[in-house]
Parts: sequence; structure tokens; C-alpha cells
Amino acid sequence: MKCDIAVVGSGLAALVATRTLQQAGRNAVLIWPGLSSLYFTYATVDVLGYSDLTTTQPVEQPEAGVAKLIADHPNHPYALAGLDALRSGTTLLIEWLRAAGFMWQGSLARNLLLPTAIGTPKPSCLYPESMAAGDLQRDEPIVFCGFVGYEDFVPELAASNLSRSWGRGDQSVRAIRVSLPGFDTSRLFTSIDLARSFEDKAFRREVASRIRREIAIDSVRVGVPAVLGLTHDTDVYSSFAAEVGHPVFEIPTLPPSVLGLRLFDRLRKHIQESGVEMIWAAPAHEAEVSDGQCRRIYLKSAGREHPIDARAYVLALEDMVDGALRAGVHTVVDPFFHRSLAHHAVPTERTDESLFKPQPFASIGYAITDRLQPSAGDGHPLARNVFLAGGAIAGYDPVGTKSRGGLAIATGYRAAKEAMAA
Amino acid sequence: MITDEVGTFSDTVEEAAPVEACTKCTACNTVCPVARSTEIFRGPKFLGPESERYRSQPEAAVTAGLDLCSGCKLCEVTCPSQVSIQEYIRRAQNKGAAEKGRTLRDWVLGHTRLLSRFGSMTAPLANLGNRNPLVRWAMERVLGIHHKRPLPRYQWLTFERWFTRRPHNKTARRTVAYFYGCWVNYNERRLGEQVVAILERNGIEVIVPKQQCCGIPAVVNANMDLARKYGGENVRRLSGLPADVDIIASSTSCGLMLKHDYAHLLDIPGAEQVGTRVYDICEYLWMLHEAGELNLDFQPVTTRLLYHAPCHLKSHGIGYPAMRLLRLIPGVQLEEVDEGCCGISGTFGVKVEKYDLSMKIGSRLFAAVKAAGTDAVLADCETCRMQVEHGAGAHSAHPIDILARAYGHG
Repeated sequence: MKCDIAVVGSGLAALVATRTLQQAGRNAVLIWPGLSSLYFTYATVDVLGYSDLTTTQPVEQPEAGVAKLIADHPNHPYALAGLDALRSGTTLLIEWLRAAGFMWQGSLARNLLLPTAIGTPKPSCLYPESMAAGDLQRDEPIVFCGFVGYEDFVPELAASNLSRSWGRGDQSVRAIRVSLPGFDTSRLFTSIDLARSFEDKAFRREVASRIRREIAIDSVRVGVPAVLGLTHDTDVYSSFAAEVGHPVFEIPTLPPSVLGLRLFDRLRKHIQESGVEMIWAAPAHEAEVSDGQCRRIYLKSAGREHPIDARAYVLALEDMVDGALRAGVHTVVDPFFHRSLAHHAVPTERTDESLFKPQPFASIGYAITDRLQPSAGDGHPLARNVFLAGGAIAGYDPVGTKSRGGLAIATGYRAAKEAMAA
Repeated sequence: MITDEVGTFSDTVEEAAPVEACTKCTACNTVCPVARSTEIFRGPKFLGPESERYRSQPEAAVTAGLDLCSGCKLCEVTCPSQVSIQEYIRRAQNKGAAEKGRTLRDWVLGHTRLLSRFGSMTAPLANLGNRNPLVRWAMERVLGIHHKRPLPRYQWLTFERWFTRRPHNKTARRTVAYFYGCWVNYNERRLGEQVVAILERNGIEVIVPKQQCCGIPAVVNANMDLARKYGGENVRRLSGLPADVDIIASSTSCGLMLKHDYAHLLDIPGAEQVGTRVYDICEYLWMLHEAGELNLDFQPVTTRLLYHAPCHLKSHGIGYPAMRLLRLIPGVQLEEVDEGCCGISGTFGVKVEKYDLSMKIGSRLFAAVKAAGTDAVLADCETCRMQVEHGAGAHSAHPIDILARAYGHG
């Protein structure tokens, strides 16, 4: 199949790149290797939470933080993508979210501290309206509300952790649990099951009244797992919050992330409606390169390899999440150029013993040129018309520094611009 | 940093991911149309890779609820680790049926070709019977086929016989073999005629090798031995074609069986080679177009259309060639209706205990189709078309129908 520009990936970087191309009137094809990483992540946009892996002091102003990071580390992917790409890409995303019917808040100017499911504060600067009331820079006491039988959110754990780090007095953080009408607790259920139920008005009303009965005091806010509706319809959240009678905020849960699912499903549909073709179920691999140009990549389609001949390619791959990179005992290999990505080649050095510490494997990926082309580490591109975006770029830890979303936006935007110019 | 170059590694076409590749991310459950519509279904993750870890040879673990998997394969389409989720479910269901036996209804639905042959031979009578409330009541009681499900109309003249009687066009620059499938043969000969006309219009000779049911009704009705027998016959015949003859299918699911499932689910020897030569009709025509060989002498067709992408088309991993093709025709206004599975999944929605579920799964699609109010809904898969007509009361056609009209073969 021939096309102008092929985007490979399904995460935020791929979506931003595709939207950038579509807005510029270019013929883009989005090749989707499997479900988006947005399903596993928090689906807020973290631009820069921590300036490096050692500090525990969150960044207050992400845009200024990125500017400083770029000045200090000229080889950081943020520096290669450029601050302008972050700004323009963010504007593009915010406008897109609005056009697609999302109610999001925030800007690059300021980080909020939002509580996670285990009660730790997480800096983030763009977030759905339904999470805003969780901001830990506000003082109202918090009630974490769990649901009986739903084990992916444990309110007592969130409350005890948060009261240690944030507590504003004895009664500032509490945990309650309410039972859910019609849910058989002998059965395992997930965030998805709950989210489907919350789309039902009567169910929502009943749960809200059970929560209200548990909370005797005024001026508290209520944190619930992010299961308030499976679609992006904000009516579910606002009507539920009104019936609870206190400010309500959603907390991202363990995967599958309903917040990510809402985002991906809607944006995917929206971009398809605008005429972008999406090729499902086809992991891409094998770049055929001649004279420094990539002529073709192959999709693993049913029965045979399906060639994609594009003028330029944006590889918006994840790192290990979607199997784009293959880790063996001694090497991590990329599927396009069959190069060994040499970071931390010994498996024991790829991970830290502590689960909660930054993991070295997070920074494995492609070395890139200053135009985001994959390179052999010498500054020369492996192919002049291939551009990288997102998690598979080497040399940074998007999880440890809470910068996954911002980097996806900046590199996705810049890679799309470069692909158009190639 | 990238350093040394490594040799080609073994990760070639469609390397099957083992069950351990499942990271339990639950992505499959979020997209499963059955899990979305009923609480009693435990979802592809549990019934596929999770249960598979406990299934051992020779004793087959018979897991309850396997028959609720409709076989749409959306779980596999969305799995970020490319685990063959649905194949685990089908194999386990088949083992269970081999041990416990299968119902008369599932036996009958697995033998769709036999059923269709009989229906075709007795066409006027069979069609009358299929619309008779008393007959339908009896079918529901005896066979478990829901009385509300419209059954396809049979035609007395099969595609096979039509084809052998027609004059042959042999002055062609290339030849393709047409795998028409049971649907075209017994129910919608016109679609087959259109496929032949379009290919010949483009200077391609069509041959029709003798063929058997592709086997998918048998696979989903827990009769994999039968599917393997059918598949084996097809592979034997198709393997015998000259090497430069490509194979074309106009039914999405037949095409997927030939391309992929014969080799990977049914382990039929020689199937892999056959699979590499199989093309969906629209995929093939688009390829011709990209090679500059498609006849673009279209008459305008002024019509507003919706396109519904069948789940199994997504499994082909070729995008939506039908949409690309139809957009070449002047006058065609085409939009995609992206509301997921239609719910029928072949014989699934025909069954008495699954009819309501199948209609519930399709309800989002029906609502969108009704709201759009277009002239027709296009779908490459015949049972999707049946379901859309039944659920949304809309006219439905194969994309080839529009292309045929543009060529003046309407």
C-alpha cells in the first residue's frame, strides 16, 4: 500500500503526530500494532514532574522546568525536539481534545499534585476536569472511597500513605467503602465493569446516596477510582458529583485505565472520522533502506507481509510495553533496522532491585539525530525519512521523571513536522 | 544508543506469541463485544490465556462459558503482545465438545455447506419454509435456531453452475482463482457475477477451482476436525494452481481462514504457502490501482453510503481497501460507521440462546445506522450485512456492488 506518511503506533505520540499531519492536510495512515499504551497509563499529561531521577521535590512550573532541562542537557530528547514543539504540540492537543468533546484543564505553566491510587502525590499539568478536585495544593480534607469487591483500588492504603506525606491534621484523610448495587462480590470485576455500570443513571444515583450517607461532615472532597463512565461523556461525572454533594475527583486505577480508554477511543474515532485510515492488528517491522532512504516497511498482516511504501515514516513506538523492542539475554533489538540497542545489555543491570526506584530499562531505545531520525549513535541517520517519537527514544526515563506525556507530545509533533518536510 | 548490527533474527511473519506473552493487561476484555454486553461472559483474558495455563494434555479442561465467545477476534486485534487469545478459546471449546459431544444444532450449523446445498436444491420450498412461523417455531424447538432471526434466501442456480455455463474470456494478461464461498454459491450469486465481471473488465481471467466450505462455521461450532477436513481439501486443490495465479475471496471470513487460520489454528500442511497467495477482492483491486492497472472508467454513482468494517477484516491487517476503492468513484459519498461489532458473528447470532445478546451487541451500530439515514450500509462480510438489515432495517450491500454499478454492471 502506498501513502504519503505512515505513522506507526497507537499511543499519545502517534496520535499527536497523526493529528499534526491531518491538520496540515497530509495523507497519513495510522498503523496500529495493538491496544494503545494509554490503556495502561494514567492518561493525564505529565510534562515534567521531577527535574531528575534523584530529586523528590516536584517541578512547579513544567514549561520553565523543561527550558532549564534543555539548557542543562542538550542531548535530552526534549532538547532535540525543542521547546517550541512542546508548546505547539500541547496547543494542538488541547484544541483537539476540545473539538473531540473532552473537558480538560491545565496548562504548561503549572503542575498540580494529584493523588495516585496508592496515595502518593503525582505532578501533572494537563488533566481531565474530573480529576481537578484532587489537587493536593488545596486544603480541604479528603475522603477516599472504595467499592466493596473492587480490589484494584484500596482506599485504606491510599489514605494511610497520603496522611503521612500530606496530612493536614487528624481527620484530614479518611477511607470509606461502599457496596455497589447489583454487584456480586464473589466475582472478580474490573474498572471496565464498574465504568459500564456507572453509565446507568439509577446505579449512579444509588451509589452517590450510599456515599453521602457515609460522610457526615461538610467541606470534604471525595476521591473515587476512575470508573465514572466508559465514554468521554462528561455528564456521568458532573451528575454523579452533584448527587454526592461534595466535590468529587477520579483517581486513575491499575490497568485497564478507564481514563486512558476514554481518551484513546474517542481520539481514535475522531481522527478516523476526519479521513485518516487506520490499519488495525498489524505490527510493523523491517525497514528496507537504500541510499539512506527508507523505501518500505512491512506489516505482519494475515497470511503475508503487507508492504507500506510511504514518502516518510513516523515511528511512534512504545518501549517495552507494546513489544516494539525485543529484549534477549544479551541484546535489545529493534525490529526495523535490526540493530542492537546497547543500553544495559546485561539483564541484571536493566532493572533496579526496588520496584519503586527508577528502572534502567526505561531509558533503552533508539539514539536519535537532532531531527529525531534513528541513528547509529554517531549523529548520522540510519534513514533520512524516518522520524522517532515517544517511548522508544533512548536516554531518558519518562516514568521516573514524570515526563511521558510531554515527551510524547513534543516528539510526536516534531517528528510529524520533520516527516512533512522530508 | 545503537551499536553493532545484528543478523536477521527469527522474528518473522506471524510468529505466534506463547501464552506466557500475555501480560494480563486486560486490553482484550475492554474491547470484547460480548463482555461489553453481558455480565455472564468472563471475557477473553480469563477464557483464553489465563485458563490455558491450567489446560494440560491429555485431559482437556472444559471451561464453562467458552461457547459465549463469538469468534470476532477483536481480542487478538487489540492484544499489544499478539497473543492468539481466540485460538486458545476455540481449541479448548473443541476439546470440550470432543469429550462431551456437541448438540444437534451445533452439528448442523457446522455443516453450513450441506445445509445450504439442501436449501438451494429445494430453493422455493426452503425459502417459503424459512418464512413460515410454524416451521420457524419447530426449528427453534428442535434445532435451537431463534425464530426471529431471518434466514438467508437460497437460490436454485448456484454460482458454480452459472460459472460453468458461461462463455469463457481467455484473452487476459493474468489469471486469478476465485474462492467464492458458500454464500455466493447458494445465496448471493449476483455478488459472484459482479466479482467476475469486475475482474474481467480489468483484463483478468477468472478461474473457479472446485472448492469446499472454508470451514469457519465448523470452527466456531466446536468441530475443528470437520474444519480441518474441509480446509485440507481446499488447500490440496488451491496448491495445485499454477504459481502465478493469485487467489481472490469476496467473503471476509473465508479469506481470513485461507490466509491465516488454516495454517495457524488448524495446522493444515501446505496452508502457509496457499495463504500467501490469498487476497481479499478489494485488497486485490486496490493493488491493481496502485500498479496503475485498474480501469478507472467509472460512471458516476450518486449515493450516500456508510461503511461498516467487519471485525474479521480488521484481523486481515490490511486497513480498509474498500473505502479507498469506492472513493475513486465520482458521486459516491462514503463515511465510516465505527461502532464496533455488529453482533451476529456468523452462526452465533442465529442460536436461540444468543439471539438477544447478538442484538444487544449490535445495538450501538443499529442506532448509528438509523441516525445516519444513508442509502445503504456497506460491509464486506455477508453475515454483517444480514445483521444490519435485520437490526437497523437498512439496505446493505457488499462494496463490490457499488463498484459494479460504476462499471455499468449493476
